[in-house]
Amino acid sequence: MTTGSAQFPAQVTERLRELVFAGRAVAWLEVDDTQTLIGAGGDLAPYGLAGLNLGVAVTEQVHILEGLLPIAESPYFMPEVEIVKGRAADLHFWTEGASGGEGGGSTWVALVEVTTQRDLTQRLQQKAYDMTLLQEKEAAFNRQLEAANAALVAAQRELEASRDELAAWNKTLEERVAAQVGEIERMNKMKRFLAPSIAELLVSSGDESILKRHRRDIAALFCDLRGFTAFSESAEPEEVSELLQDYHAALVPLIQSFEGTLDRFVGDGLMVFFNDPVPCPDSAERAVRLAVAMREAIAALSSAWRKRGHQVGFGIGIAQGFATLGQIGFEGRFDYSAIGTVVNTAARLCENAADGQIFVTSRIAVAVSEVAELAEIGMLPVKGLSRPLAVSNVVGLKDGEQKVVWLNRQTR
Amino acid sequence: MSVSVQQKKICMLGGFSVGKTSLVKRYVESVFSETYLTTVGVKIDKKTVTLGDKTVHLILWDLAGEDDMASLRMSYMRGSAGYVLVADGTRSATLEVALSLRKRVEAEYGPLPFALLINKNDLREQWTITDDDLEKLRTDGWWVRTSSARTGEGVEDAFTDLATRVAR
Repeated sequence: MTTGSAQFPAQVTERLRELVFAGRAVAWLEVDDTQTLIGAGGDLAPYGLAGLNLGVAVTEQVHILEGLLPIAESPYFMPEVEIVKGRAADLHFWTEGASGGEGGGSTWVALVEVTTQRDLTQRLQQKAYDMTLLQEKEAAFNRQLEAANAALVAAQRELEASRDELAAWNKTLEERVAAQVGEIERMNKMKRFLAPSIAELLVSSGDESILKRHRRDIAALFCDLRGFTAFSESAEPEEVSELLQDYHAALVPLIQSFEGTLDRFVGDGLMVFFNDPVPCPDSAERAVRLAVAMREAIAALSSAWRKRGHQVGFGIGIAQGFATLGQIGFEGRFDYSAIGTVVNTAARLCENAADGQIFVTSRIAVAVSEVAELAEIGMLPVKGLSRPLAVSNVVGLKDGEQKVVWLNRQTR
Repeated sequence: MSVSVQQKKICMLGGFSVGKTSLVKRYVESVFSETYLTTVGVKIDKKTVTLGDKTVHLILWDLAGEDDMASLRMSYMRGSAGYVLVADGTRSATLEVALSLRKRVEAEYGPLPFALLINKNDLREQWTITDDDLEKLRTDGWWVRTSSARTGEGVEDAFTDLATRVAR
């Protein structure tokens, strides 16, 4: 048996006539029914098949045929098989003769080199796959980009939501601050004429409707100093100022403790009323109790004033009746004040009261008869009123320590 | 003690660029090349393994990758004792290709021993095939391993295991 022979059997020559081209390694193998190599030829060496032994099992020598024989169909074709590195061949299988019969048939295998075509296909395929891989990478990158973008958008939305939330918080905070500032302003406004505790109560309720004009039954108290005009004419302004300071310092805390509404004080004159804006059922009693306390306080101051040569007395008038109440004035200069006959009446009673006297109307007298010692003064003509008023003097309180300290004195 | 010598044809199947050629190169020559060269047709290699008293010559058929343009020539599978399905962990579509190939092989050649290798485990952070995907296949009784032709991880084990299953 020779391999690489230039001579081919007729069967092979005929089959390969259409397949063989110049420059290709072409080889053949013949295998019998027992898969024994019985013939081989052509250009076997390029496929690493030089030195094949006839009469030996073909798969032991040509491992590419492992499992392929006997062929299931004839002819059978296996294209582009790289048998050794860098050399590819088409494998053509076919049978001749009665396979498995007596004398047997042969399976022929032709190896026709296709390295050049295979390499060309490989280059084209490589480009196609490289392109596909590139597209896949691009698609994957795009997906990543989209995911990152979506995450970014989500983060941005979250940020916007947080910003909105923050803005809402800020707004709420600003509103709260504004409300607090407003409350403080209202409080300051209220504190000018109300006891601090009542001012706070009203402010916290947030109801400013009380400041609107309205009518209510009040107990009005007027007080001033007797002989103050003469004193202020003869005394030094500093002395007048000092005296007024002592006077106000003694009375204002009392007014607040009795929860009276301080309407105004002009010089030595001072007006307080009860039952507005905070309602109180015992407005007359409170007014009288405050008046007695005021008288006590001024009595204590008077002895000091007298020592300094100041002859100054203190009188009070109290009346009860309906008045119009509310803010009076203009923007930037508002006062909470009461207007009405009751105010005038209290003022007139105060004018008529001598030092240490607390003149009250009959309505007040009736209201406090259980708690106060009263002394009837009689019918008193009052300026501005067509008829004289029945007036009583509050001598003292029945239940308090303020006993009869101030006896009836002569009206001035 | 007599030593039995066997020769078994094993085919490498899978989508293109999943690393079939690199796995064979790693297994047979213990080398790895970063350059991707697509396979056209089939490349045949041989590796001899010793399994106890058996010597098995594995004839490794490294088939061209499967894609829309070049569908697998089933004729290459003829006479195969088993096969290795390969997918690329970074491209989940290649697992679908592997599953489809397995169906076609089974339809034509019946149930043959096979191993499924999810390759490129060295690029694990880029994987799109999930552990859940693999766990599901294992639950279905598949022999599934991860591998890396670059580092050699899982390569020897896969071929040895398959050789053990195909050797008589």
